[in-house]
Amino acid sequence: MTVQGPRVARPPDVRAAASPAASGAPVLDVRNLSVSFATPAGPVTPVRDISFTVAPGQRVGLVGESGSGKSLTALALMRLIHPPGRVTGQVFLGGTDLARLDGRELAKVRGGQVAMVYQDPMSALNPVQTIGHQIVEAIQIHADLGARDARDRAASLLADVGLQDPLRRMRSYPHEFSGGMRQRVMIAMAMSANPALLIADEPTTALDVTTQALVLDTLSRLVAERGTAVILITHDLGVAAGFCDDIQVMYAGRIVERAPASRLFRAPVHPYAEALLQSICDLDADITTELPVIPGQPPLPSALPSGCAFHPRCLYALDVCRTTEPAPFAVGTGGAMAECHRTDERIAGVVIAPVVGPGVR
Amino acid sequence: MAGTRDLEVAGPGAVALPGVMRRLLRRRAAAIVLVLLGLLILSAIAAPLLTSYSPTALAPRDRFLPPSPAHPFGTDELGRDLLTRVLFGGRIALGIGAASTVIAMLVGTAWGFIAAMRQGWTDEILMRLADATMAIPTILFALVLVAAFGASTVNLAIIIGLLLAPVTARLARSAALDELKSEYVLAAVASGATRTRILLSEVLPNTLPSLLVLATLNAASAILTEASLSFVGLGVQPPEASWGTLLFQGYQKLYQTIWYAIFPGVVIFMTIWLLNLLADQLQSVLDPRERESSRA
Repeated sequence: MTVQGPRVARPPDVRAAASPAASGAPVLDVRNLSVSFATPAGPVTPVRDISFTVAPGQRVGLVGESGSGKSLTALALMRLIHPPGRVTGQVFLGGTDLARLDGRELAKVRGGQVAMVYQDPMSALNPVQTIGHQIVEAIQIHADLGARDARDRAASLLADVGLQDPLRRMRSYPHEFSGGMRQRVMIAMAMSANPALLIADEPTTALDVTTQALVLDTLSRLVAERGTAVILITHDLGVAAGFCDDIQVMYAGRIVERAPASRLFRAPVHPYAEALLQSICDLDADITTELPVIPGQPPLPSALPSGCAFHPRCLYALDVCRTTEPAPFAVGTGGAMAECHRTDERIAGVVIAPVVGPGVR
Repeated sequence: MAGTRDLEVAGPGAVALPGVMRRLLRRRAAAIVLVLLGLLILSAIAAPLLTSYSPTALAPRDRFLPPSPAHPFGTDELGRDLLTRVLFGGRIALGIGAASTVIAMLVGTAWGFIAAMRQGWTDEILMRLADATMAIPTILFALVLVAAFGASTVNLAIIIGLLLAPVTARLARSAALDELKSEYVLAAVASGATRTRILLSEVLPNTLPSLLVLATLNAASAILTEASLSFVGLGVQPPEASWGTLLFQGYQKLYQTIWYAIFPGVVIFMTIWLLNLLADQLQSVLDPRERESSRA
């Protein structure tokens, strides 16, 4: 299988806390997290009871289609879901339950211990403030620095993310920057307080492919140097493959498979993960070949299928899949798992004849 | 390094504005409006230097003189030089206009921002209060308040300022609500910024252009309201005279001399017109789309 996408060069020392074993106390411990919204037609739950941990320095990919609940998960981690949205479950950050913090304490955690990089840096930067003003402000929120020190710090951060002549650049406005430069600024701002965890929500989606690789390289180098754990949210398997230690595949608000990146690409267990990998287009293929697709549509959170949410699109669905929601089945040791009734057969490599043919809705 | 010292790490808003004047002066129409307004303001400030007459000294022999080199605007019923009266009247008219605009902007912006930030009940109460105030015609409301609190210059400025605040609050609230939905505000929240910081650093600079345009329009309404109040005798009290007072006195003496009413009227009209033109020009200069293209 060939994976197209930016390859990210990684310094050799970054595998220290790599998968699958999480060393020491986790930076992030998510237990039974759900996000639901009250609607006139009753509650809708786009994120359903997910649990996972992130170890210091670990890079976890959160992969899935649009609407699978990736970004909502990120917002819930930051406690940024507002009514009518409702979050249940617990989020421990460095051992602290975020739900117990009041507004002031929460503000300290946000940007301090956990920072975020967004998909569209143009809209995440204030258009009427200079880059310098914004990054200095981000620094001063979390560090008690005078104007001069904060400015020096800002300049060195911008130099760290690869901006030439940072002092001059700090006087520019966001619209004077290219997309890649803006995203570098966002990364610099996010890293300004040396957070233990960085949540990157589709950080390269708005960039063109060559810039993607460069920005990812920068991000990769920075988090490696500082031992920052990363949750990378993406729908791009290539990006996830190059960047992450472990990958969690989300479908319909559940994490349906968790695996070390290398193993997931070699031998996916969950049929959805397999289908996702198969739908990466092979650039060497004959152009007359039809692009592989996963038949059917991802379900709406308001109308989830019975049993396993993936069963209507699954090639291997059995009767049990239609009636019973699968529990997580461990795959090997080290926390890898898949939520599939046929996990054992899949691991064993038993060839499973498709119960329904492809293309059937 | 050269860039270090003059690098701007300025307070909120400071970054957004310096370019505005430069961009205004680059447009011919805006430059003309600015120069004329500047002359008007200067003439009011420098009134004692511009005329050799006293605004209050009587000269009964020179009543109702038509315009002449000695009296460019003519004289009034007590022989006072009308140009001098108009210049000194401008001090009061423009002074009250400026003071009440500042009051309206400060009170109105705070009012609207708090409503937008807190939402819920606070928002409801603050905005219904604004609606209730706006439902009563400004002049009528002002008349009642002036009658109740007395017609001193300070009272006039405060009353007119407060009466213009609800409109400002409405605009400030809706502009702030737009900003609060933006992704950079979300990013600021996620980076740990407090409410106050978000209002001052994210919301205020981004709403400043609309607020600036409104301030110009507010200044025009304030001057007009003051003139109207003075016209009906509840504004500035004799012997002081604002443009409105002069207009009223001229109107009463319309059968003796036509000039008396014309000059104050023209000055009021010109001021309001210039302020509205300035608002127009500001609007187009501050439009971010035009700004982008003029910078590129």
